[in-house]
Amino acid sequence: MAILSPQAVVDSFKTIIGDSLIDSRIYEQPVAVKKNIFRTIWLTVKREAFRKAIEHICKLQQYPHLAVISMADRGDNIELIYHFTIYFAQQLQELSLGLRVLVPKSDPRIPTITDLIPGAIFTEREAQEMIGVEVVGIPDNRRLFLPDDFPKGVCPWRTDEKGLKPDMLRVLPGRQPKSG
Amino acid sequence: MNLTAFKRALWVYHLNTGSCNGCDIEILAALTPRYDVERFGIRLVGTPRHADVLLVTGPVIKQMVPRLRRIYEQTPDPKAVLVIGSCGSEGGVFYESYNLAGPIDQIIPVDVYIPGCPPRPEAIIEGVAKAWVKLEMVQKQGGK
Amino acid sequence: MAIGEIKKTSYSIPVGPIHPALKEPVRLDLTIDGEKVIDVDVVLGHIHRGIEWLGMNRNNPIQTLYLAERICGICNICHPYAFVMAVEHATEIVPPLRAEYIRAIICELERIHSHMLWAGVAAHEIGFDTVFYIAWRVRENVMDLIEYITGNRITKGIFTIGGMRRDITEEQYPTIRKCLDYYKGIYDQLGKIFLNDRTIIMRTKNVGILSKEDALKLLTVGPTGRASGVAKDVRQDQPYGSYADLGIKAQTPDLLTGTVVGDVYDRIIVRLLEIKQSIGIIEQCLEKMPSGPILAEPKVARMLNTLKKTEGEGIGRAEAPRGEVFHYVRLESGRDTLATWKVRAPTYANLMAIPKILIGGQIADVPIAFASVDPCLSCTNRVVLIERKTNRKSYLTDKDLHELSVGKTRKLKC
Repeated sequence: MAILSPQAVVDSFKTIIGDSLIDSRIYEQPVAVKKNIFRTIWLTVKREAFRKAIEHICKLQQYPHLAVISMADRGDNIELIYHFTIYFAQQLQELSLGLRVLVPKSDPRIPTITDLIPGAIFTEREAQEMIGVEVVGIPDNRRLFLPDDFPKGVCPWRTDEKGLKPDMLRVLPGRQPKSG
Repeated sequence: MNLTAFKRALWVYHLNTGSCNGCDIEILAALTPRYDVERFGIRLVGTPRHADVLLVTGPVIKQMVPRLRRIYEQTPDPKAVLVIGSCGSEGGVFYESYNLAGPIDQIIPVDVYIPGCPPRPEAIIEGVAKAWVKLEMVQKQGGK
Repeated sequence: MAIGEIKKTSYSIPVGPIHPALKEPVRLDLTIDGEKVIDVDVVLGHIHRGIEWLGMNRNNPIQTLYLAERICGICNICHPYAFVMAVEHATEIVPPLRAEYIRAIICELERIHSHMLWAGVAAHEIGFDTVFYIAWRVRENVMDLIEYITGNRITKGIFTIGGMRRDITEEQYPTIRKCLDYYKGIYDQLGKIFLNDRTIIMRTKNVGILSKEDALKLLTVGPTGRASGVAKDVRQDQPYGSYADLGIKAQTPDLLTGTVVGDVYDRIIVRLLEIKQSIGIIEQCLEKMPSGPILAEPKVARMLNTLKKTEGEGIGRAEAPRGEVFHYVRLESGRDTLATWKVRAPTYANLMAIPKILIGGQIADVPIAFASVDPCLSCTNRVVLIERKTNRKSYLTDKDLHELSVGKTRKLKC
């Protein structure tokens, strides 16, 4: 597999998914004495083209490395960022790729990628319970970290009515709550 | 001080209710040749039923509450409970989290607190010694 | 049932939280058939403290740094390191060169201490308590050095955004070199104890094998992945800190033995090779140490102000003793706390490989195979044996599981 420059990678995405690539940004930072460059690409894609983008990453790198899916509550949307890295196992060539996809709260569903990357199962389970997206086609639907008696429908990372209520926080006797 | 109530040395049982492991590592470091509490006969046992002293670490996570209670009940009297670290004493840095069931003394009665994040092995040894003295006094006064 | 016909029943053992030998709780549900393990399920959640939620709702970024240190008590340099890297990328603060080299030294000292800790625990799981005590006594030297440099044995509090809080001065070099010489002196002995001992070879060779293909598919990182031939190492692959200047090579078992099998023995080899590599890295850093300041912004109040006004996002990846640790941070202008913070510890990824490692092996191999992944979680405590057909429960204690493992060693010895 050839190693492409960051701009070439972004261009290859444009070729594959066209207008569904809403935004792209390349971040480069020289490091330490020899000034090797730490490179990150940030891409924002539409949900419809999400699976195609994942398949394209699998073509750029066989068994791409997925670190985690980070999530945030952005008002009307839920923002999921899939943090990949490609071109690993070679000297100073690795490229980080952050694939951002916005999922509307009115229809919080996203397709699974465990058929392409079996190791994504834990992080998809965590996304389901922490921010309340539904991963369509996930092979294992159970909770990962929260206890089984945690109230259903409450998602700790949400800031709207589904989020944590103040009485769920463990404020120690004699103290005032700091958060919120 | 003449310690006569116990015919043998103290056996301790270690329990982690959700801590970061720092205190647990220091407990084990107290057993290794550098600090070597084993020369006093203090031994780490694998079951609470043989233990005299419970070493509990961690802010109690909700899933661990029934286990904590059960292990406390399984330990035979006379026993001493030591809380090691700031998390167990009053929540430490994890206060206000949504998955906490409170510091350890909200769930089981505690005899000795050893603060620190994590406390040094020397502090833990001193804490166990204090617990020993307290147990001796309890024995002499005829039980709790 | 006719005479001569044996009915096979499979049992399900939940291997519950807490382990006498240390660390955090995790539950393994093992389904067994006789002595063989046929299915494994990992149940997490026993130490979920809601740290990311606290970071996003309660703390400012400097306080979150100290919270990040307490995610794990064993690898508590790499979490602040990755966090600080993420914030520095989000705010485009560049730490001075001297700080980068000091960071690498502290990181490598932590790697030595963590691998010695693991070596002791692995020996204890096989039943070699003497080696457990030897390994932890040897570890005390590097703990003393860490305390000499940073002021504390475990939670060091030496990282800050934009640099380091303490310097390593020229007067401290002789003590550092003395400690490194001690490790160089006993390194061959350690190798002999762990690699040439007949019982360790019998207990660890061809046990808990993870193939290279599975390791790539299940995103295994760290020494567990490298022992299976996946040469992923963030210090080698992506330039961060001063590692980019040093030309690091991922340590795989074929550097010592010529082949890659992916069993527990290979994982011991990888960790021993990494100790040697760490000693070499520290010596290189001491030689090439650039002079200059150690903080990009010495005043904390001004730093907090800058962070409050920044809008940006960044990632930080560091190589912990167990694998790649990943932090993602997003800052919003005008907000005291972090807008988004996501942490991925290396054991999170390695736990997915546990079923593949344990299935097909014996119950007595479960402690050593599980410990070989070096989980930053604890193994087992209570074992509940449920007979499927009658639902009768019989309780084994953690002692029994450990004794099963030790008993196997004794059987092999005779």
